[in-house]
Amino acid sequence: MEIGAIIAGLLTLAIYSFLYKDNPVYKAAESLLIGLSIGYALVIFWQSTIVDLLVKPLFGEGKLILAMPFVLGLLMFSRFSQKTSWLSRIPIAFMIGAGAGVSIPAMLYARTLKQVSASVAPLFNESGALNLSEMVIVIGLISTLSYFYFSRKNEGAIGKVAKVGTYFLMIFFGATFGYTVMSRLSTLIGRVEFLLTDFLHVIK
Amino acid sequence: MRSQKTRWLIYGLLFIAIIISYSITIQLKVTPSPFVKKTFEYMEHLPPQSVIIISFDHEASSLPEIKPIAQIMLRHVFRQNIRVIGMSLFAEGTAIGYDMLTKAAREFGKTYGEDYLFLGFKPQYISAILGMGESIRRIFPEDYLGNRVDSIPLMKNIDNYNSIAMVISIADGDRAVQWIEYAGARYDQKVIAGLTAAMITTYDPYLNSGQLYSLVGGLRGAAEYESLYGKLGGGNRGLLAQSVAHFFIIILIIVGNIIYFKNRMQSKGMK
Repeated sequence: MEIGAIIAGLLTLAIYSFLYKDNPVYKAAESLLIGLSIGYALVIFWQSTIVDLLVKPLFGEGKLILAMPFVLGLLMFSRFSQKTSWLSRIPIAFMIGAGAGVSIPAMLYARTLKQVSASVAPLFNESGALNLSEMVIVIGLISTLSYFYFSRKNEGAIGKVAKVGTYFLMIFFGATFGYTVMSRLSTLIGRVEFLLTDFLHVIK
Repeated sequence: MRSQKTRWLIYGLLFIAIIISYSITIQLKVTPSPFVKKTFEYMEHLPPQSVIIISFDHEASSLPEIKPIAQIMLRHVFRQNIRVIGMSLFAEGTAIGYDMLTKAAREFGKTYGEDYLFLGFKPQYISAILGMGESIRRIFPEDYLGNRVDSIPLMKNIDNYNSIAMVISIADGDRAVQWIEYAGARYDQKVIAGLTAAMITTYDPYLNSGQLYSLVGGLRGAAEYESLYGKLGGGNRGLLAQSVAHFFIIILIIVGNIIYFKNRMQSKGMK
């Protein structure tokens, strides 16, 4: 049997032992997972960010423009001293400014304008028949937004519409939860598959 | 102690139900959903030698659900002689993505550098996605194996999204959203998402607005794709176990509700 499969199988069982109760074997496996994940990510980030994007082009290819982000990056470490911590505001300001500049137009377009235009669809098709799915979207949208309208108390007509909105929200939560259960079960099935095939070789 | 025993019983029964149903070789009838069909049809009609990007934007923990989706889609694109540029915007997905891509390519006798290549991981995903719209070479000067991208035959005449037919993001989180919001909105790049089931509702608004071309979601999505492809794999194998587990959970919900209402009626009667 492959050594990797044996280790993976034993670690899977160690993690599942938590279902019985918390125990040292589970804790050891959990710590190993956290350590390995961080170690792996650290190596990947070191190579792909520090080496590939900074060290090679700046010191190897002489791209001096990269000295600017390098210095800005170093300023982030000024937070370790109270006297110099104000210097870290400079790179943070750059990050927030650039981040907002890049994100705001994209978010506005993709999450607001496109979504609004998708919601404003004709309720009747060309033959004059009612487009039921669009009707559901419009009712769901208006009623759910009414529920989150806080400038007036949810009473009277607004309250009734908002009540309909809560049903739409409940359906959404139910669907999301259902999909999440489905997803977690898939993970469990995947592990069972591994245990039965690669680890125990019960099924081929 | 009683509640803990109930918990053990539930976990134990669920585990047994999954093991038994996984061991039985009954083939469930799968009817492909419109979005899986749309994805399949798109790949089926894509001209040979077209280039697509497959981004492995997921962690190792979601592999049981992600792997069947990635495997069947990779098999399909290689069968159609579509060329693949692999990459990852998630550190953990890098080695896994390379492994899956290489295995699928070997299955179809594809050559690295001509039929497929793997660019590796890039941090700062927004900058990477936007930068690739200007120049893929500038963002990835070297591939995962350390080869200069300029020297790779597949990359000849390919420098940005203009030469990329489709981006497929295999994701377990919201990384595919960034592909939609940055590559899709700014560069009009078509995006398909291969997702864990838990993420499907997050992507529904993008699907409805047409920003997301199509999606293949969860083990079921993989099983549907496999049935269209004509070769069953990991998706179909796990489908019976998933259906049995769902049925078991539905029974638990019903039993739980009966117990709850019975207790409530009893406590009301006592008052």
